[in-house]
Amino acid sequence: MNAVVDFPVRPEARPYLEAFGRDSLARAGREPDWLTGYRKGSLARFAEFGFPSRRSEAWRYLDLRALEQRPMLPAGAQRGGISAQIRAQLAEMALGRPAYRLVLVDGRLAPALSALEGLPPGVWLGSMAAAITERPELVRAGFEALSLDAARPFAALNTAFFADGFVLDIEPGVVVERPVEIIHLSSGAAQGGSLHTRGLIAAGERARASVIESFAGAGHYWRNDVIELNLAAGAELTRVALIEEAAEAWHFGEMLATLGAGASLSSFVMLLAGRTVRHETTVRSEGEASRCELNGAFLLSGRQEANILTTVEHAAAGGETREVFKGVATGRAHGAFQGRITVRPGAQRVDAHQLSRNLVLGPHASIDTKPELEICADDVKCSHGAAVGDLDEAALFYLRARGIPDEQARRMLIEAFVREAVELVGTPLMREHLLQRISRRLASSEE
Amino acid sequence: MLEVTNLHARLNDGREILRGIDLSVKAGEVHAIMGPNGSGKSTLAAVLAGREGYEVSEGSVSYLGRDLLVMPADERAREGLFLAFQYPIEIPGVNNMYFLRTALNAQRRHRGEPELDAGQFLRIVRARLKLLDIGEDLLQRAVNVGFSGGEKKRNEILQMAMLEPRLAILDETDSGLDIDALKLVARGVNEQRSPERAIVVITHYQRLLDYVEPDRVHVLQRGRIIQSGDKALAVELERRGYGAAEEAA
Repeated sequence: MNAVVDFPVRPEARPYLEAFGRDSLARAGREPDWLTGYRKGSLARFAEFGFPSRRSEAWRYLDLRALEQRPMLPAGAQRGGISAQIRAQLAEMALGRPAYRLVLVDGRLAPALSALEGLPPGVWLGSMAAAITERPELVRAGFEALSLDAARPFAALNTAFFADGFVLDIEPGVVVERPVEIIHLSSGAAQGGSLHTRGLIAAGERARASVIESFAGAGHYWRNDVIELNLAAGAELTRVALIEEAAEAWHFGEMLATLGAGASLSSFVMLLAGRTVRHETTVRSEGEASRCELNGAFLLSGRQEANILTTVEHAAAGGETREVFKGVATGRAHGAFQGRITVRPGAQRVDAHQLSRNLVLGPHASIDTKPELEICADDVKCSHGAAVGDLDEAALFYLRARGIPDEQARRMLIEAFVREAVELVGTPLMREHLLQRISRRLASSEE
Repeated sequence: MLEVTNLHARLNDGREILRGIDLSVKAGEVHAIMGPNGSGKSTLAAVLAGREGYEVSEGSVSYLGRDLLVMPADERAREGLFLAFQYPIEIPGVNNMYFLRTALNAQRRHRGEPELDAGQFLRIVRARLKLLDIGEDLLQRAVNVGFSGGEKKRNEILQMAMLEPRLAILDETDSGLDIDALKLVARGVNEQRSPERAIVVITHYQRLLDYVEPDRVHVLQRGRIIQSGDKALAVELERRGYGAAEEAA
């Protein structure tokens, strides 16, 4: 394994290199060489990048010192059956209606909990591990396309270490009517370790699907998830992420999407629980007249830290982007929204609008919001709005004047504030599920 | 039921708006408080309902034998005090039906009664809607959002009819209404008249009093009640104006 350490190695990366070396024997012969090649290459990049510093724009709002000082090494495969705790987590997070379901426990497929029967012809849904043998060209293309730069060191770490994940491959013209749910659970067995999962959705021309990914767990772990979305011309995809990790858990999610001509992506990210949660979305609009709707919300309390980042790069003409993000922070929580929209030269008639609205409740909570427009074409319509404020006092008084106790009235207004963003989720089943989880969360944070 | 004694109140900026109000309202009575703009009518309503932003510098208010002024606004409401807002507040994202049920259940919980589920609530609210001739679509919208002026006032009356308060204060509920809406508001008020309930109607015009007959009429001027009488006083005010009332006082 010395080949990979010919590079300069940042000290905080060293334990991960050593862990990679220890696992290499187990990996040998179980994985195709091309994959091992990507893993080694990515590990070398991670060794070179190390952890991002707070001077890096994309990481300035998160405090990574705890993670940097105490390595959380990739957790190995867990033995034993499915615990009652996992079943309880699943019951909480599942849509509870007919859906194609793939469940990952501690970062690996749990076939007994998954329901993949009855997929329509032209749809392949399965674990990443299976896709590597059954869909090698597709998976390889994904790795090839992913550019690893210093701002994305954990995507490199993910390539080096991911154990499993999922792939959804839809042939052109195929419509997946039922929702697809990918549920990531953590049993607590990975205590102090990290879980690296990799997802890939490839939607062929005019294909259509809705996918919800839910994340929950127990204990102290670091989930590092990367998902790539590839929408061919005219494809329509909804992707919802519901992040309700354990109170002590770290969660980094990286979503990279490419849109073909006339393709339409609708994304919603809901951050509800976890110690430190970061979700970054990067969309490249490569085909003309693509449409991209990125919405989301975070609801933070206690000492939670969360960061939602979006980058939309319009490289083709006639594209449309709509963003609505809502943030709520109470207690000592800190949230941040960073949204960048770039219009490349020649990408005329782009129409982009971004809105970031935030509620900061209490003297110790805070939210940063940072919109950025970078426009290199002259015939475009781009705008953004950002606001940070408190609950509407007049509305609060109105509710109280009807006998609703102060605490309950505040919860109603917070829920209503977040609801406005959730209403933008186009799939009713997923919208209702999110609203239910938000109500639960607000009710449980009751003092 | 309500005893207001020498009530003085000022805004946070120090301006004194109420300068010694005395008012006694008994169960079963309907009182009208009339007065020109700026006389302190809405401030009186706000202070009684417990809105923040006012300081009571002198005097007392007793409601059902308790000191009203020490009770938070939500407790006052649960104890049966209802304020129909002059300008009802729009609350995006809160469904009107959910709002009404939450309010009613908060009050029922307070009285030790079982909470109503969605089905039970719907039966009750439908009966009230019919009585007040209000369309059911009002329930499906966000509280007051996009409501016309008339719809907002009807929604206030609907809330009163659902919450069945002991003491209802209607703050210029008649302002800006056409004659049909006015009659509907009057019907709602008259439906609520009962020996156990008191109603205080705050109004600028005598018009509403053609449909809601008050037991007592008070004239508020510059933060004081300068004249009180029976319903004939309202007619006189309409004819001679508030200036004459002030001269007479």
